[in-house]
Order: sequence, then structure tokens, then C-alpha cells
Amino acid sequence: MVLNQASLKRDGVQDYVSLRATAIILTLYTLFILGFFLFTPEVTYDNWKALFSNLLVKAFTLLALVCIAVHTKIGLWQVLTDYVKSAALRAVLQFFLYTLAFGYVAVGLFVLWGA
Amino acid sequence: MPATAKASILHRVTGVAMFFALVFVIWAWAASLSSPEGFAAVKEVMTSFIAKFIAWGTLTVLSYHIIGGIRHLIMDMGHWEELESGNTSAKAAIGLWLVVAVLAGVWLWF
Repeated sequence: MVLNQASLKRDGVQDYVSLRATAIILTLYTLFILGFFLFTPEVTYDNWKALFSNLLVKAFTLLALVCIAVHTKIGLWQVLTDYVKSAALRAVLQFFLYTLAFGYVAVGLFVLWGA
Repeated sequence: MPATAKASILHRVTGVAMFFALVFVIWAWAASLSSPEGFAAVKEVMTSFIAKFIAWGTLTVLSYHIIGGIRHLIMDMGHWEELESGNTSAKAAIGLWLVVAVLAGVWLWF
């Protein structure tokens, strides 16, 4: 069990908790961004840029991006294992989808870095 | 198809759809923060029907996924697990989602 926890090996309980923990964070982030759009009379480049210049917003956004990667890794795996029965095809699809998920985090990191 | 099955497949479809919609969301976010010109360009793109439709689709799938997700969390706590209550909550989730989808459309187009 110790080995399991220390490696990136998956187990059902870990997936169950991770899926829900990331879901809660992503819901809060969605409400935060929605709130910004609803309560800002006019979204301009200046107030949009100022939002993402805030260190806490940068941290929250990076957290949300990492949560997207974790959440989609579990969710896409659940969907793929149900509908794609060929292990080889599933491996190829997972490779591309997880690479795309990593791309989202990487692009997001550099956007936040520059903002 | 019973309401519970509809709720289940909608949760999956909206999850996968959002994963790909993120390409547009992150592009728009990155471009809008790159420079005042980038922001203006995204704003210009967002006036087109196709961009608004993609934005509406993204908000719509996101809202279903959140509503369905909250339903799942409530079910994790031991509620709505019987046939009748499960069907009722599935119908309520889909009904609430349709209202939110219309509101999102009104917000984007008017």
C-alpha cells in the first residue's frame, strides 16, 4: 500500500476522492469567473488584465488548470474503458488526450507567467 | 430511455465536449490577455454567430456537468438512490439545466 501511494499507480478510492475534490474546486472557479463577468459593468482589457495580475487569482487559475488535468484524466479513462474495448486503441487515445490536457496546463502556466 | 439514463449519458457527453471546448476557451483567454490588440481581436471574433454559438455550447455543457455533478455529490451522501427519487432528481436536473441554457443564450445574444 505504501508503494502504491508513493507511485502514480491508481486505485479506485484515490480516483473517487480526486474526481470529487477537483470537481468542487472547478465549480468554485467557474462561479468566481462567472461572478466577475456578471458584476463587472464592462469587461475591458485593463480590468481583465488586472484580474489575472492578482497573485491569488493566478494561484487559483493554476490550481483550476491542474484540477482539469486530474479530473479529465479520471473522467476520460472512465468513458474510454466503457466504450473503447481495444486496449491498444485506448492507449493511443489516452496518450493524445492526456498530452492535450498537459498542453492546457502548460499554456495556462505561461499565460499566467506573462499576465 | 429513463430520465436517470439520460442524466448519466448527458454527464458523459458534456464532460467530453468540455474537454475539447477548452481549446477555444484557452485560446480566447490567452489571446485576450496577450495585448490590448489581442483583447480587441477576441472581442471582435465574439460578435460572430459561430463564436457565440461555441461560447453558448461551452456554457451549456459546463452548466449541465455542474448540475449533474452536484446531483452526484448529493447521491454520494445517500440521497435519491431509489428508482422514484432517482428519476425525479434526474428530471429536475435536466429541467434546471434547460432553464440555465436559455438564460445563457439570452445573456450572450441580448
